[in-house]
Amino acid sequence: MKRKDIFLTSAFTENSVWRQILGICSALAVTNLMMNSLIMGVGVIFSTAFANMTISFIREWTPRSVRMMVQTLIIAAYVILVDIALKAWLPQISKQLGPYVGLIITNCILMGRAEAFAMQNKPLDSFVDGVGAGVGYTLVLLVISFIRELFGFGSIFGFQVLGAWWTKWSIMVMAPSAFFILAMFIWFINTYYYKVKA
Amino acid sequence: MKDSFFYPILFMLVIVIIFVGVLAVAYRSSEGKIEKYRIDEYNKTVLKLMADKIAAAIDADASEINAAYPESFAQYVKELPESDLDKRAFSAVVHDNTVAYCFEIKGKGLWGSIRALVALSTDYRTIIDFALVDQMETPGLGARIEEPWFLSQFRNRFFILNPGTEELTGKYEYIAETQEPENDMQLRRVTGATITSDAVVRMLKGEISEIYKHYEGQ
Repeated sequence: MKRKDIFLTSAFTENSVWRQILGICSALAVTNLMMNSLIMGVGVIFSTAFANMTISFIREWTPRSVRMMVQTLIIAAYVILVDIALKAWLPQISKQLGPYVGLIITNCILMGRAEAFAMQNKPLDSFVDGVGAGVGYTLVLLVISFIRELFGFGSIFGFQVLGAWWTKWSIMVMAPSAFFILAMFIWFINTYYYKVKA
Repeated sequence: MKDSFFYPILFMLVIVIIFVGVLAVAYRSSEGKIEKYRIDEYNKTVLKLMADKIAAAIDADASEINAAYPESFAQYVKELPESDLDKRAFSAVVHDNTVAYCFEIKGKGLWGSIRALVALSTDYRTIIDFALVDQMETPGLGARIEEPWFLSQFRNRFFILNPGTEELTGKYEYIAETQEPENDMQLRRVTGATITSDAVVRMLKGEISEIYKHYEGQ
């Protein structure tokens, strides 16, 4: 498979969130603001891509019995490296991210891609797959957070777009709204992208 | 070889050594930078909380005081000696007169402890300003207690109503985030974060009353 196809498959056709229903916890937790979603997405893209590449690079020597421990260790190491780098060189962004960076370790997408793709494919292909999975995840987060932030705060990326006349919908700020927006989004994708018939 | 008993153990050991080694080197090489930034941020917050009072005493603007960090911090802020109160405490001193105090306070949030700095008037009864240092609340919900609109509503609030008595404020009431306060005793609560919002008021009440009792008795 060409690298472009690997990327498109990972990001859209086999999207981790709407197709494989992975990464749901963080999709629900961080999507009340678009900036949070974007930052989380960038962190996931970086970690998935490099963890995938490293896991793929050592796959020939990795024993099956300890492979998941190895994958978790590598994922955690990359996430911690990102965290250290941000704290040392971009402290303001690190402060803004708060606990989001650490949360990436628990994201099922990273383990999912490591197990499903990186363990069977070459390092560079795995890197592209990781970028694709991260981009697909980020897109979903941005769509959900766009709706939640717009109706919940009247803003987009922190910029107020709806005036004082707008009554903010409290439900959109709370976690339950992410559940039904995500459900509607998946229904929309299934109906119009995959053409699934009810 | 991969199926042998010792190979997975050795492999895991090598991987752990490599990655922990890389992380240890990365951490050690950036530790100084991270620590310096942490101390600077903390001191800047202490200065910022008391900047209005310092500025008023020297007839300047608070933004000038903040911009002159670290010189202004060294000139006006003094850390108070440790006492049995067991809290870090600072005073803002201008021309040998104390114009404000700042204390590090702690409380319990929904998921973990909340650490904050609160600047108090010299009679320890009124909040001059308030800022959070650390919190572990839910991102996007409870963590929104860090937003300026939430923190700023505590400015100039009495937390000790009647000096000399044990009566502390219990009369603050929370209203919805979207409502406008109708009087000085109403505070806006973060939507979807009732427990965290309540925890902040509980922390302020408990800690300020402790500080008040400690210093008022001296």
